[in-house]
Amino acid sequence: MTDPLALDPVLPPRERSALPFNDDALDHDDRYRHFEEHVTGGGKVEATDWMPDEYRTAVLRFVEMHANSELMGVLPEREWLMRAPTLRRKLALTAKVQDEVGHAQLLYRVAEDLGKPREAMVQDLLDGKTKFHNVFHYPTYSWADIGIIAWLVDAAAIVAQQALRDSSYAPYARTMKKICWEESVHIMHGRDVVLTLATGTTAQRASIQEALDRWWGPLMQMHGPRSDRAKDRDIHWRIKAKTSEELRQEFLGIYVPRIREIGLTIPDPDLALDPATGVWAYGEPDWNELRTVVTNHGPKSEERLQFRRDNWAATQWVRDAILSAPRAEAVA
Amino acid sequence: MTDSAAFEPLAMDFDGAGDGGERALALLLLSMADDEFVIGFSDSEWTGIGPILEEDVAISSLAQDELGHAQALYGLLVNTVADGRDADAWAYDRPPEGYLHARLLDHHRGDWAMTIARRYLYDTADAARLEALAGSSHQPLRELVAKIRREERYHLMHVQTWIERLADAGGESRARLVAALATLAPDAGTVLAPLPGDEALVRRGIVTEAFATIEARWRDAVGATFRSLGLPTLPPTADPDHARSGHSDAFRALHAELTMVRQSEVGATW
Amino acid sequence: MTDSPPADRAGGGDGSSAPGVLEPWEVFRQEKDGDPMKHGGSVMAPDSVLALHYAREMYSRRQESVHLWVVRRSDIHDLADLDLLQPPLDRSFKKPGGYVMRAKLAAARAQSGESKPKANKGAR
Repeated sequence: MTDPLALDPVLPPRERSALPFNDDALDHDDRYRHFEEHVTGGGKVEATDWMPDEYRTAVLRFVEMHANSELMGVLPEREWLMRAPTLRRKLALTAKVQDEVGHAQLLYRVAEDLGKPREAMVQDLLDGKTKFHNVFHYPTYSWADIGIIAWLVDAAAIVAQQALRDSSYAPYARTMKKICWEESVHIMHGRDVVLTLATGTTAQRASIQEALDRWWGPLMQMHGPRSDRAKDRDIHWRIKAKTSEELRQEFLGIYVPRIREIGLTIPDPDLALDPATGVWAYGEPDWNELRTVVTNHGPKSEERLQFRRDNWAATQWVRDAILSAPRAEAVA
Repeated sequence: MTDSAAFEPLAMDFDGAGDGGERALALLLLSMADDEFVIGFSDSEWTGIGPILEEDVAISSLAQDELGHAQALYGLLVNTVADGRDADAWAYDRPPEGYLHARLLDHHRGDWAMTIARRYLYDTADAARLEALAGSSHQPLRELVAKIRREERYHLMHVQTWIERLADAGGESRARLVAALATLAPDAGTVLAPLPGDEALVRRGIVTEAFATIEARWRDAVGATFRSLGLPTLPPTADPDHARSGHSDAFRALHAELTMVRQSEVGATW
Repeated sequence: MTDSPPADRAGGGDGSSAPGVLEPWEVFRQEKDGDPMKHGGSVMAPDSVLALHYAREMYSRRQESVHLWVVRRSDIHDLADLDLLQPPLDRSFKKPGGYVMRAKLAAARAQSGESKPKANKGAR
């Protein structure tokens, strides 16, 4: 065994060297250049660091849409909260929807610390000024939809979220680690619901195939159209790491075999893996539908936003009340 | 004394429940389980639409706790009645008139003040009931109650915090709380209304005090809190003979919704 | 009597008092007995009572903590100045790795005629 005292001195590298862009004395262009070098070189940014407006705006827009999606993503499943068919399913679905509210909280906290108050973000969402993910603009028809949402919509989301755990914006990256940890159970819950229906009665088996048929189109649109990596500013700033197509390919690679192994048929005759390249071919998703839906013209967009507006207004007095009641202090 | 006739339609539910004492135990377990089940559903309606995000998560945890308690209590009932029904069958497969929850829990979810008023009245009454079960002679119930009481501590902290805030905020907040209490308080005592077989439960030590004694203790405690907050005095229980029967349209609507999926394919695995 | 809180309950009152603000509270959590408290994240709350309630929800609803602290963000004082924390001149004399004895040991062994001990289980 090596005598530790005989080792040559190995002094630890500084975890975080001085960040020149935090130096107020430098002019803006120098700070911008240092910041860009830091971020593109793999460096992390904290909320208290100086950052160019372009970066702050880009992270805020990205995180705010993510937070909005968690908050609006609550609503389709919430419609089935009171209908879950067993005690365990009721508990699991309640806990899952609760997690989504919790994730909205975590993400709005990240966005708030970038300078936009939560009330302003909620108001912009309710006014239709900011967006949320396409999949949450669609109706739900059956308990089977809940299984497909919990399994496949969450799986597609996790593929994207896992790629965000190394985001250059450190508070977002840390939050994504916590969210991915919490969401791992959602997929298990969803897959269990789907498997139970897929091995159930004739009507149950039919319901799960119908649900897959309904959701496949929106699922293929979910990560967005193919885009040019070189032109993607979010990738340049390392806010995110992967393009839409990379995420979609990853999703298909993992989930197509899992869907097929339980006897479900994916409603896309062009879906095929090229064994030579490892790339999935698929029928072109309807990008017009995606654009229509995410601009709040989807089948349930207006109804769900109105539901949010109504409930936000109905609870305004509670928010006012806790701020006007005398402060309490916790005692140990 | 509650009208035993109100429970007669349920006699058929207890074929396997043995002698009079077992039947009284089964009624106790079923009424407690149904209380937790129904308030769990009411509270879970807030999931996703709570007044602030952090509170939304908190009320959902309370709902999940209550549903978990219901699940455990139905589990004890399964062993007590032993007629082949599992916990889900007890929870889901009865007609609305077969549920034994207290009338306090029969109201619409309502606004946040209704939820806090209901939670306050129910949680304090439930805590008094659990206290009288902490030394129960029925070992499985005693063991379960010890665990439930540990979880209910947070429930009491949470609702105490909120009722004080709503009362102290004055203005609209206080007015809404007072209105909610006007609706709910006449039904609050239904949680502790005596069950048929009350005497047998006490005689066998399943419950360590008569419900009338538990209720008096609870009224003293709630009365003191209401006086300190300047809230109206708790009224006597309205229509005490139908404390757990004759359920409202609000409950029937909830029942129709919560059985919808399960009834769509009777006997299927979900 | 019921229109406003009793006089002994301070503050609020008629609901017309200036509204407060929800403010951020930093949450620290201990994952298991013996671990250090580590920063988990933050919650918005009007005071320490609700901050603790919400910390419980956001950082232990899966039973992932055994101890929580909340600290009002404005009560945290910050030091990130690297001139103070990572002063640039040599501090190797403060660290075990700053002591290099390989050559001296070899010389000492040569002088004593002893060979290198086989086992060296003790740290020093």
